[in-house]
Amino acid sequence: MEVTLEQVRDGLRAARYITTGRVETALFLALTLEKPLLAEGPAGAGKTELGKVLAEMLHTELIRLQCYEGLDEARALFEWNYQKQLLRIQADRAEGRTWEEVSTHIFSREFLLERPLLRAIASARKQVLLIDEVDKADPEFEAFLLEVLSDFQVSVPELGTIRARERPVVVLTSNRTRELSEALVRRCLHLFIDFPGPEKESEIIALKVPDLDVHLRTQVSRFVAGLRKLELRKAPSIAETLDWARGLCALGVRELDSAMVRQTLSLVLKHEEDLRKVEGKLGALLAGATGRASAPA
Amino acid sequence: MRERIHVFVQALRARGMEISVAEALDAMRAVAAAGVEREVLREALAACLVKDESDRPTFDPLFDELFPAVGAAGEEGRRRRRTKGPGGGAVPTGTGRGASGGGRALAGPAPEPETAPGRRAPRAGATGSRRAERLSAERAPAPDRSGRMARIRELLALPFREFTSRDVEEARDLVRELGARLRGRLARRERAAHRGRLDVRRTLRAATSTGGIPLQLRFRARRPGRPDLVALCDLSGSVAAASELLLGLLVPAAGYFRRVHLFAYVDRLCPVSIERGHVAPGGPLDLHARSDFGRVLEELFAERALLTRTTLLLVLGDARNNRLPPRAPRLRALRDRVARIVWLVPEPRARWDTGDSVLGLYAPACAAVLECTDLAALVRAVRQVL
Repeated sequence: MEVTLEQVRDGLRAARYITTGRVETALFLALTLEKPLLAEGPAGAGKTELGKVLAEMLHTELIRLQCYEGLDEARALFEWNYQKQLLRIQADRAEGRTWEEVSTHIFSREFLLERPLLRAIASARKQVLLIDEVDKADPEFEAFLLEVLSDFQVSVPELGTIRARERPVVVLTSNRTRELSEALVRRCLHLFIDFPGPEKESEIIALKVPDLDVHLRTQVSRFVAGLRKLELRKAPSIAETLDWARGLCALGVRELDSAMVRQTLSLVLKHEEDLRKVEGKLGALLAGATGRASAPA
Repeated sequence: MRERIHVFVQALRARGMEISVAEALDAMRAVAAAGVEREVLREALAACLVKDESDRPTFDPLFDELFPAVGAAGEEGRRRRRTKGPGGGAVPTGTGRGASGGGRALAGPAPEPETAPGRRAPRAGATGSRRAERLSAERAPAPDRSGRMARIRELLALPFREFTSRDVEEARDLVRELGARLRGRLARRERAAHRGRLDVRRTLRAATSTGGIPLQLRFRARRPGRPDLVALCDLSGSVAAASELLLGLLVPAAGYFRRVHLFAYVDRLCPVSIERGHVAPGGPLDLHARSDFGRVLEELFAERALLTRTTLLLVLGDARNNRLPPRAPRLRALRDRVARIVWLVPEPRARWDTGDSVLGLYAPACAAVLECTDLAALVRAVRQVL
């Protein structure tokens, strides 16, 4: 696909996705070299969002395949619509058609249930295929995925081979709950998306929660950056930061203080033990966020 | 440029990163497409070559060394624009005045007019590779992999014999995860099937609501039947780590057995449970006693009411009996009461039946004797057995 790095940058900006040069370059390469892009990183750093933004950028549809344990070909690729076929046969019987007529009929595209992978390949337009949390699927599924992603073609025994007219843009995401197969990783471009730094995150808040006052925005992003440095069970995601920012905005808060943080922190931290852990370090975190020496929490 | 990338790839390989030929080719194509603006070049190469974030600390310094920044920041922008182009040979060679110390060191060849990129490339390549050799010799030869995934890989392959207390601690967390996976696997087996054997009776009954046409197919659920599990784990010093981890693996999956009895032993049988990832004995257990599997067998035989025709008897131990009576006939008697006996040995196969090991006497009664010297093998064995 013919794009320039500038176009990617502009596209991302237009799609209101704030990011780094690293992400821009990786996206550009994925589009130019037509290779799948494997995005890894902590949960909530914006991996899935990447696929959505890419679809928006290319003005096309996003086809999403959410992986889970036990995901099989029938759910990922295609399945015959048995009920519809049966209805057809019933209807045809009344009209007295021959066997040949019926059998060619019921194994046509009309009776094929296209699952995400086939839909992405069979589409006439270029599509964005997001294969989300590929590490949750079984290793066997990965091998099958490898086959589809290297040739971009699928064979349906009754129909023949369906080849992609326009190769879809493929984004895979993984949280690294297990190691992906070497072969799959080798075929992909690799991108590690980390949480944004406080400045970037402040920009994101400005974009998504424009009503929040600049001063508070900086404090929030610094505070969250501080939280992420602690060893928590679940580091706050960008979405959670935004929720918090919206909450503070709705409450009409002007200045982050320990009482306010205590009341609203459950928007950011969802585990009891994380909350308890942060409770003890609230003073230091607040001091880091507001740039003032803190009153004892 | 091609030479340069080649040298770079070689140097990365020398640091222990595994880069395939295909990936190196990708890198070339990527650079041809992305141009040579330094930061873009860096990320383009990283996207193609760094497939594990823990390799990034290896990648970055080497990139800085082999592709040094040229000139001051202000000048940089201007120069890059010019050099941009597919497969351009005009690469900054680190001859700029403002180059950092590292850049100057690498620059090697004296400043040359930029009109002969083809001639310069091989030379730059030669310097680079020599440099790479020296660099790899300077640093520790062991590749530095510090990521979480790398740590997991290491733990899985680390022989139990070499486990330190810290390793055990970390392995516990890992085992909890693996146990959850195992549970998911067993749960899947029990879920009603979407294909497989048709359940004719239920399909026909569902068809009555659609005028006798079987629109809704019903399938027989695969029910493997829940076995009973009795696990005997040796907690004597030499194999305690393996036992603890095995127990950790089994506990999350306990719901998928009809009844589970976990026992630890050194010289006597002791029922145990797992609390917060640690083994909690339910009775007196002398960890420093001399292992005596014969006696343990005798005690298990006394408790044989626990064993049923569907019981899987899982034994983990090295069968080092300290020359005490092995009482192998007891194990044969137990075999006739249970479905299967599987013995997991945390010792390398070469050491079986050496010294005071009496594994050979017990083995005939077992359906399988599996070597589990590390966590990966243990997980494999458990999957295979359940």
